[in-house]
Amino acid sequence: MPMGPDAIRVEDLWKRFRIPHERRNTILEGLAAILGGRPLSYEELWALRGVSFSLGEGESLGIIGPNGSGKSTLLKIMARILRPDRGRVEVRGKIAPILELGVGFHPDLTVRENVLVYGSIMGLRSSEIKGRMGSILRFAGLERFEDARLKNLSSGMQMRLGFSVAIETDPDIFLVDEALAVGDAEFQAKCLDKFKQFRAEGRTIVLVSHALGLIREFCDKGLLLIDGGVAAFGDAGAVVEEYARRLRGG
Amino acid sequence: MPMPPYWELVRALTIKDFKLRYRNSALGFAWSLLNPLAMMAILTIVFSTLLRSGIENFPLFLLPALLAWRFFSIGTSMALWSVVGNAPLVSKVYFPRWLLILSSNLANLLGSSLEFLALLPLMALLGMRPSPSALLLPLILALEFLLIFAISLPLSALNVYYRDVYQVWDIALQAGFFLTPIFYSADLIPGKYRGLYMLNPMARIVQCARKILYLGIPPEPADLGIPLLGALILLALGAIAFSRLEPRFAEEV
Repeated sequence: MPMGPDAIRVEDLWKRFRIPHERRNTILEGLAAILGGRPLSYEELWALRGVSFSLGEGESLGIIGPNGSGKSTLLKIMARILRPDRGRVEVRGKIAPILELGVGFHPDLTVRENVLVYGSIMGLRSSEIKGRMGSILRFAGLERFEDARLKNLSSGMQMRLGFSVAIETDPDIFLVDEALAVGDAEFQAKCLDKFKQFRAEGRTIVLVSHALGLIREFCDKGLLLIDGGVAAFGDAGAVVEEYARRLRGG
Repeated sequence: MPMPPYWELVRALTIKDFKLRYRNSALGFAWSLLNPLAMMAILTIVFSTLLRSGIENFPLFLLPALLAWRFFSIGTSMALWSVVGNAPLVSKVYFPRWLLILSSNLANLLGSSLEFLALLPLMALLGMRPSPSALLLPLILALEFLLIFAISLPLSALNVYYRDVYQVWDIALQAGFFLTPIFYSADLIPGKYRGLYMLNPMARIVQCARKILYLGIPPEPADLGIPLLGALILLALGAIAFSRLEPRFAEEV
């Protein structure tokens, strides 16, 4: 087991979402409310309440927990897409997030153009991306669709493309949020093989999944989130066991 | 960790915006020439033939000012959508968000430069006096670009939170069209209002374009210095507003 310095260190992370009681989406509504003396009131929802953990370089972590427990929020903060209200995240190396559906594509651009934009976001030079275009399209099984606009692809195809382009940008850390769920069995198997190869190469992987078997088999460590707090952290098998025990109501 | 080469990202996003701007219409770039030509024809008929403003060579008086105004109005109204329109990127991956605004503005700079280039032969045909001052055009466009960027930053950020920002900006642009010396000369403004009127940075920028392409004379230092100062102040304010509003973009787009 490769054990290097910490790849990810999360310290006392708090994240609050504000859900307004009434929607006020326009300047006019905002002005009317201010003039009418009705300040906007919010429902506060604490999605994360003091989450801390650290993950060594080359380790893989499975994050589990019920719906609404803060798993995706945690992943998005690690990816720097959301900003926490308190606490901090330190990450060593380049992160590739694969969240829900896709990695961030524009529907009106072609497959090829999207790959060029995404690759440049991930810090590749256009010459490097073009050099990898062939293998990205091959892995996604989209060789014949290079010039198709993204909106004309099925959601499964978009997900495969997102996955392929993310793994080809040489990240040190993968953040994967249920992204495998849409793929067919064959593609899922292909991705798992890739992940195994990445583990062997010493890259860090964080998976959010409800597939407890996958987490137990694949991950070194597990993190159980309940109501935005860490209910268990440690050996993946033990954490999955703890979650199963709670689900049984034990 | 080495800095990723962000200019590659800016280049890719600029090319994307440029392609998307012209992709969804059959005539593409031709529209962006037809539009100012139609405006020129209409305004010439109204102000030269019907109202007899008495301005010599009205089409050539108009065209540089019209193109400079288009650069501003299209640039800011395109950039207004640059965060919301890139919601899939903003909610899925991290990169400095202001690069979206910069790229949108750069795509528009490219478009407007091509418009000027494509219509220069027409200006020559209309009787433009060749003068070395015309070579100052890139400098004036660069100054205007800075102003556009400064205004685009807060506009694009506000548009994430309020969905009627574009309506408000549309009204502001209509007012701006009349409060900028595009189809008339600033000399018409009464002296007591002139100082206030000339605080509008676009007033001086439009006049610069007219001076170098219609009158064939170089702009005075104040014609460049005052808009530059204005753009820098707006840039500072815009950057502060943008950085305040940016943290919750991914939650709101």
